[in-house]
Amino acid sequence: MLGNEAVARGAWEARVAFGSGYPGTPSTEILEALARYEDVAVQWAPNEKVGYEVAMGASLAGVRALVTMKHVGLNVAADPLFSSSYMGVGGGLVVVSADDPGMHSSQDEQDNRAIARAAKVLMVEPSDVEEARWMTREAFALSERFDSPVLLRMTTRVCHQTGVVGLGDRVEWASKGYLKNIPKYVMLPSHARERRHKVEERLAAARALAEESDLWNPVFRGSSEVGVVTSGVAFGYVREVLPHASILKVGLSHPVPLERIRSFAASVERLYVVEELEPYLEEAMRAAGIAVYGGRELFPYTGELNLPLVEKALLGQPRSRVTVDLGSVQVPSRPPTLCPGCSHRGIFTLFREMKLRVMGDIGCYTLGALKPLAAMDSCMCMGASVGMAEGLEKFGGPKEKGKTVGVIGDSTFFHSGIPALIDMIVNRSAATLVILDNRWTAMTGGQPHPGTGKDIRGNDAPQLKVAEVCRALGVKRVREVDPYDLQGTRRVLEEELQAPEVSVVVAVAPCLLGGRIPKGRPVEIHLETCDRCGACVRVGCMALHEKDGFPDLDPDLCTGCGVCVQVCESGSLTLPGGE
Amino acid sequence: MEITNILFAGVGGQGILTSSRVLALAAVDAGLDVKMSEVHGMAQRGGNVDTHVRIGKEVPSSLIPPGGAHFLVAFEKLEAVRNLHFLGPGGTAFVSPLEIPPLTQSLKKDSGYLPGIDRLLEEKAPRLVWVDAVRMAKEEGDIRMVNLILLGALSRHLPLTPANWEAAIRKRFPKKIQEACLKAFRRGVTDVAENQPS
Repeated sequence: MLGNEAVARGAWEARVAFGSGYPGTPSTEILEALARYEDVAVQWAPNEKVGYEVAMGASLAGVRALVTMKHVGLNVAADPLFSSSYMGVGGGLVVVSADDPGMHSSQDEQDNRAIARAAKVLMVEPSDVEEARWMTREAFALSERFDSPVLLRMTTRVCHQTGVVGLGDRVEWASKGYLKNIPKYVMLPSHARERRHKVEERLAAARALAEESDLWNPVFRGSSEVGVVTSGVAFGYVREVLPHASILKVGLSHPVPLERIRSFAASVERLYVVEELEPYLEEAMRAAGIAVYGGRELFPYTGELNLPLVEKALLGQPRSRVTVDLGSVQVPSRPPTLCPGCSHRGIFTLFREMKLRVMGDIGCYTLGALKPLAAMDSCMCMGASVGMAEGLEKFGGPKEKGKTVGVIGDSTFFHSGIPALIDMIVNRSAATLVILDNRWTAMTGGQPHPGTGKDIRGNDAPQLKVAEVCRALGVKRVREVDPYDLQGTRRVLEEELQAPEVSVVVAVAPCLLGGRIPKGRPVEIHLETCDRCGACVRVGCMALHEKDGFPDLDPDLCTGCGVCVQVCESGSLTLPGGE
Repeated sequence: MEITNILFAGVGGQGILTSSRVLALAAVDAGLDVKMSEVHGMAQRGGNVDTHVRIGKEVPSSLIPPGGAHFLVAFEKLEAVRNLHFLGPGGTAFVSPLEIPPLTQSLKKDSGYLPGIDRLLEEKAPRLVWVDAVRMAKEEGDIRMVNLILLGALSRHLPLTPANWEAAIRKRFPKKIQEACLKAFRRGVTDVAENQPS
């Protein structure tokens, strides 16, 4: 079972009634797996904040609720997280934060254990797939017992680890229903000041459990020479590198069980702390006066851990392993790229040709920033393209006037682009927003969003139309284009860039990944007229590569989308049938 | 602690994840512990993909260190070279002789692929087995069978029985293609074995 599937299984065993969230690697498969349990209500939210709030409402209704997101998603949901910490819960509420050490698919590698501390909520950290199952299951009970949302902190290598899982029965649990309690659930300052004390009382009680629990914070007794305090995926590396050392594995990691750690420290001669990313445990230990022999300084400050790094830290050097030496051979890199036939390719080809200033956003189309397209100037966080385009256009001087666009995908637009578009409208921006409407959340594997017209189980659902939403907000200039028609799209972009008010260009073309669009016949190449200008390969398509200085086509990959045909000035590329 | 480490490598979309899952299921069927680490998300969009599979009595962690792999199963030649340093001494690389050039940036000659890659692999891999999996899969009538043929070739070296593999394949694939999958797998076992140096 996959770690993410194990979280879903654990939630099901705990009789969770509701799951919500927003897709984001490495968290996405949790809700998808939960949706396979038919007696659980599961839905995607337009963003993490909304997902959290719906789950909180379900918790107040008395049922157990799960909300999932990636680490940066918790930034979006931070507002309800911090306040719900004061409110406590009705039915158990478990919040999954899937962190991404090493930034495999993320824009930063923040360690969300710091957020549990700041929000003063309980936190549990599975170290492998089996723990992902039972810790999720037990986290609901913790949530109710201590009247706190529980942060379940996962990392990429636990989310996307497959391992052997023992399946448990479903717990006996019944909802108490909605219990009205105005001072608890209405966060007026006077109520919040009262609740503030409850938060401290709860943390003290939870610490008492963390201090004495052999289940959550087990000690593996080994040699008394070396002891290691560790948590999460790091535990496995420590176990493998030092099978005979004493290890304290911290599974309930907020509040930190400092007295348990102190007595463990006293039982060993040298105490190490091995944790991924920030020195979360170590700082708490040092602040409590627990002497640490080796910790953060033994590891690189960025990236995920692995066996050689933990060996170097604990043994002084990595175990010697003979590896194949390639000498001076440079292996060409293979970065991710837009799929052959992707509807984004034409748009970014135009952005590059028109030399536009492009404020980008999060999604597959962020790949438009990579060579050879290299047609994106910024990408910060979900929804940022819209506001940043407004700011740049307003203050960039004459050079940026008529040149600035924001580009955002449809899912990202629904996620957090809409409030920013309202800002453009009411604050009289003249920038142009291009919305890439491919009808689902593509980068994370094709999840439905408010514009898809399907729910997480594939059933029909209400569908919002991007252009209609923009018009309803008050945008006067909304145009739809076919992104495979480069000339037509270019003409619309030029007109809208010149417009003195905000305009929205919606590029409508469904993503090819769903297999719903039949593959077209491949492009034909006529080498006799090719002048080797290279324009065709600069659209950055996997189906088109260089061979002996000429373009060469892979007919199995080519979808016949025709973008390369339209940039070829010598007419050496044609669609079959001369279309 | 005896752990066998197998690294699968290729280009996103080639069926790397499926192969590693079948191997993991076969190991579970044999009563072994398995940990496997895979890649999702941005890395899958035509980029290089690898999955780490570790099987043994007890497997504490899921990532294979460089020099720690006993077997490398490469679906593409460039990805074989990229991951060759994971192989330890005496390790075996099973390589499908397929060339997928990375994204071309220009029409400069040889801007994409590594020249002399076959010889490089033959010189550098401790042990190398070419598995002409694409040809065999086409002969089997389904290009997607590449992963099962490669698994068949690998299977002769692992402490797993044909029954373990069959159970895994039946568990992983829908009924209507199970027989085709088993046939492709067995072809990997027998056909590759014939020309294998030992």
